Amino acid sequence: MSLAPEVLRLDRVGKRYPMGDVIVDALVDASFTLREGEAVAILGPSGSGKSTLMHLLGFLDSPSSGEILFEGRPVAVLTESQRARIRAEKIGFVFQAFNLLPRLSVRANVALPLAYHGSPPADAEDRVDRALELVGMSNRAHHKPGELSGGQRQRVAIARALVNEPRILLADEPTGNLDTKTAAAILDLFKELNRLGRTIVIVTHSPEIAGHFRRQLHVRDGLVTEGGVA
Amino acid sequence: MRRLLSGVGNGFAEIWGHKLRSLLTISCVMLGVASMVLTTGFMEGFFKNWEDSLQDQGGIEKIFASAQGVKERQEPFAAVSPGLTLADARALSELVTQAGVISPEIDATLPRLARAGKTFEGRRGARVMGVTNAILEINRYEIGSGRAFSDLDMHDDSEVIIIGSKVREALFASGEEPLGAFIDFNNRPFRVIGVLHNYERFWGTYNTLDWKNEIAFVPVTTMATKVQRSDRLSFLNLKAANISHLRETVDAATNVLAQQHRGIIDFNVRTNEEQLASFASTKASFVIGGGAIAGVSLLVSGIGIMNLMLASINERVREIGIRKAVGATPFNIFSQFVAEAVTLSLLGGAAGVAVAVALIKVLAATLPPGSTPLLSPSAFVVGFVFSVSAGVLAGIYPAIQAAKLDPIEALRYE
Repeated sequence: MSLAPEVLRLDRVGKRYPMGDVIVDALVDASFTLREGEAVAILGPSGSGKSTLMHLLGFLDSPSSGEILFEGRPVAVLTESQRARIRAEKIGFVFQAFNLLPRLSVRANVALPLAYHGSPPADAEDRVDRALELVGMSNRAHHKPGELSGGQRQRVAIARALVNEPRILLADEPTGNLDTKTAAAILDLFKELNRLGRTIVIVTHSPEIAGHFRRQLHVRDGLVTEGGVA
Repeated sequence: MRRLLSGVGNGFAEIWGHKLRSLLTISCVMLGVASMVLTTGFMEGFFKNWEDSLQDQGGIEKIFASAQGVKERQEPFAAVSPGLTLADARALSELVTQAGVISPEIDATLPRLARAGKTFEGRRGARVMGVTNAILEINRYEIGSGRAFSDLDMHDDSEVIIIGSKVREALFASGEEPLGAFIDFNNRPFRVIGVLHNYERFWGTYNTLDWKNEIAFVPVTTMATKVQRSDRLSFLNLKAANISHLRETVDAATNVLAQQHRGIIDFNVRTNEEQLASFASTKASFVIGGGAIAGVSLLVSGIGIMNLMLASINERVREIGIRKAVGATPFNIFSQFVAEAVTLSLLGGAAGVAVAVALIKVLAATLPPGSTPLLSPSAFVVGFVFSVSAGVLAGIYPAIQAAKLDPIEALRYE
């Protein structure tokens, strides 16, 4: 059986930073590979280093040691602008706090990543429509985020992450601010997206949520271990 | 271009989001630009006036020769010199070929102009001069109605007179025809053959050209033989035919006069050059002063914009983090903030130019002509450049700060 092409690979990646007088090892020798079409949950208690791991996966941060490869190429040699370009075109972020821009309409929020493409896609308008439709928010396109419920905001945020048709979707506690029912709907949306072929990484502290995903990576005290395939 | 437009759009949204704060900043730029355009306008009006009045005094081609006391060591011989006379004028016209026009002038002492019981008083009393037609060219007089002196007038020492508009106003009723009428000049009847143009240039309510209206001319020959009874001249003015030979013309005239006066230097030859030099140096110092004012206003509005941008960045740390997370490069962020600053300053600049134009129009309508500011196109260009550069300069530092923000810190920021 041939393996799907790899999207991200971490090779003995470590991250340490000073916190006051002590040096904290937020991540130690993390090595794993994310392949196309995978749905992975990164599970760990708060302070375990999973957010650090998330930031590293999206090149928002650089590792202190080891190497990260995106589509087989080392990220370390890229300039900040090149990394930003990859984020704009190939990576989608979803945050716990939604992080929509309150002044912009739903539509403008979803279109935001397209503005940062090297050459904006000709079908930009269609993409925004499709992304909004996919998350079921087409009828709210001209509202401001403040006029929406938490679940609706997270849907808009997911649409924003999808609009650039990314290779990989990174979600940091996407259901953390939502009630159980809404959270379940959002989880279903992620599973649906994965079924459509999207590579998805979800960071969570909840084993129950992690249980929805086939592959789990456990993070504890900066150490990453495969939690087996459920 | 697309990014720039979206940056400007963002700028408008930000301005709309913080109306009062933006209004204050825009007012800063507006006041700076308005005061600059207005100051420039006043300066241009002032210098235009000054330049015109220099021209009215004959421009820089004019050379003045006048009598003056001899130097101490020549005093014993002073009596040997005949002084400036009509003969000097003839000698100059024969010998100084570079002199285009030569105007011998006799200023009558205590002249009295009267007609039918009315006496001309004027602001500084009547001034009657014995002249040739050359004065019309050198001092830029035009005959409004009637004619200039003829050769026959000069030859016959005719008792004819050309009067300024104020003299006409004083001695004639408004409907009365002055041409052909007689007026008394020092109790001798002179026939009016011409009336000069009315000259006006107001400095406040004061007509700076009234000296050209409160004047009367008679032929210099008539003045010499019948009024003054000597051919001693008050002034002998020349006009250099070629401005680039001004120095040589002055030297030649000085030499001829010295020869005529048997080496007694009882005359003085000078030009408008000194006035012109003071004009140039005053203008230069005004330009420097204006530049300093512009610089200070630039600084003030720049500080206003920078303050606003820094405050706005502190409020928008999270937005910057989000934008970076979805793929904005540091340059994207940088240009967004610069575009916002430029939008602010451009709005201020446009408002400033509008305010200045309105003020200039109002002032032009209310102030007497002559002291009004001019609307100069250069002021608009300067105002525009000024506001854009204030925006760019003041926007750069905050924009760099914004571009340098660490996206993780920015996202964590609450």
